[in-house]
Amino acid sequence: MSGIMIEVRSMYGIGLLKGLWVTLRHFWGTIFTDIKKFPRRYPPKPLTRGQPTLIGTFSVQYPEEKLPMFPRFRGPLMHLRDPETGQVRCTACGMCVRACPHGCITVEGEGKGKERRVTVYRYDVGRCIFCRQCVEACPFNAIELSREYELACYDKDTIWDLPRLLALGDRSGVTESGQYWK
Amino acid sequence: MEFIENIFLTIGALLTNWLSSFLPAWAVTLIMDLLVIIILVLIGVVAVLALSFMERKVAARIGDRYGPNRWGPYGLLQPVADAIKMLIKEDIIPSVADRLAFNLAPILVTFAAVMTYAVIPFGKGLIGADLNIGILYFAAVGSITTLGLMTAGWGSDNKYSLLSGFRAAAQLISYEIPMALSIITVVLVAGSLSTQDIVMAQQQRGWFIFSMPGMFLIYVLAALAEMGRCPFDLMEADSEIVAGHMIEYSGMKFALFFLAEYINLFAISGIIVTLFLGGWSGPWLPSWLWFMIKVFCVIFVLMWIRNTYPRLRIDQMLNFNWKVLVPAALVGLMIVALMDKLFTNPWLAGLAMLAGNLVLILGVLWLMGWAQRRKELAAQKAALQ
Repeated sequence: MSGIMIEVRSMYGIGLLKGLWVTLRHFWGTIFTDIKKFPRRYPPKPLTRGQPTLIGTFSVQYPEEKLPMFPRFRGPLMHLRDPETGQVRCTACGMCVRACPHGCITVEGEGKGKERRVTVYRYDVGRCIFCRQCVEACPFNAIELSREYELACYDKDTIWDLPRLLALGDRSGVTESGQYWK
Repeated sequence: MEFIENIFLTIGALLTNWLSSFLPAWAVTLIMDLLVIIILVLIGVVAVLALSFMERKVAARIGDRYGPNRWGPYGLLQPVADAIKMLIKEDIIPSVADRLAFNLAPILVTFAAVMTYAVIPFGKGLIGADLNIGILYFAAVGSITTLGLMTAGWGSDNKYSLLSGFRAAAQLISYEIPMALSIITVVLVAGSLSTQDIVMAQQQRGWFIFSMPGMFLIYVLAALAEMGRCPFDLMEADSEIVAGHMIEYSGMKFALFFLAEYINLFAISGIIVTLFLGGWSGPWLPSWLWFMIKVFCVIFVLMWIRNTYPRLRIDQMLNFNWKVLVPAALVGLMIVALMDKLFTNPWLAGLAMLAGNLVLILGVLWLMGWAQRRKELAAQKAALQ
């Protein structure tokens, strides 16, 4: 008799039914979380989720819901401002131009000494390999890699100029390069 | 309720009356029979649409993800997209393929699947043809699938396809035996081979799942293997032999294989409901609605099983059949026949059969465990030397 109970509790007996119960729990979990957010299947404007949920559906519905990238993510380049004065930090010294293995960057600046500032900064995102050598080389902590990943476009116009890079920097909330690597 | 219950029969009667006002009798029967045939095939095809969508959604939800949810609200137009895709694909025939066999195979498989719809009782008077050998017809026509798969394997002129055809044939003809034995058990108790009579016997004696759970399990396992579904889907598993016998097919021929698989699924679920779950009988709703509800519950359970268990190897599958299912089915048949003769009161006989079946299930489990332990001991002894 005890032999039979061992078999019933074994893998072929209750074990099979326990497996079915596990999958059913996951099935009901997704249905309940759907019911909880019922009328809005997709959020009305793109929102950034925290972590994908562990119970219920794990999927992040891409265009409507996006996951934030981790802090050390290497996206395209952005320019940073000094938090007190609000001025661009870059002085067009050309260290990033020399450090880039691909030659993606072209700079021009004006002014002399401490008041020198950049005027034209051309960065080719099509050639960039996101290696961070330019950021490491910058002595003024003026540039950093952003966390943008939606870079697809319809034309080969991949050269970005200073206003665009500054806009990326302002949007990101990073004030000093290497902020997350300390 | 009476009206809704008989709505299809009423429409049929009205149509017959209208037609016989201006057509001779033979034309009326011809048209009505053609109409029934078209409706049965349409039920099959609509079932395919619904089932292919349900399969993907259920598989996704069990895996904590959404299924297709972009086409139409909640993805409901996804099967339409699938159908359009299959219709516009190019139909490629390998140049060295055996043309007759290659073209014949999907037709055979679909033919076998659709023919089985004639004996499924969809409702109280709703059956394609009330043959008095209904279940035997079902088992016989269902076996034509094996021929179709072998033809597909041979006609593709691809050695992997041929291998898959061999394995498919081995699996399908092996699993027909426990299937036939459990059908025989049900027929024994119900007293008739006709499907409508089996449903009516269940109305009097209680559903056969409660009096014969062992035979129900054996039939479900054998039917899963017949359909080539997980956990027995070695014939067509994507990671095993890349679609098996269907490797060389594309376009409409592949669509026919796909169709045949889901039509078969619906038909076998219909037979499971008929044989064991009381067919169309139910207290309050119309009979055809009860049938559909029960069939969809059974299909959900089959998809649930598919998404839970890992796949069996071909030798494990065949071992399981010949060493476990066939002896268990034979013993179950004997137990049920004995109990049926010993007790004349149907309810008492049902209880006795239930007891016998539970003893059967426990006995099979115990024997399987004993065999496993013996194998482990022998392996241990061999390892020690």
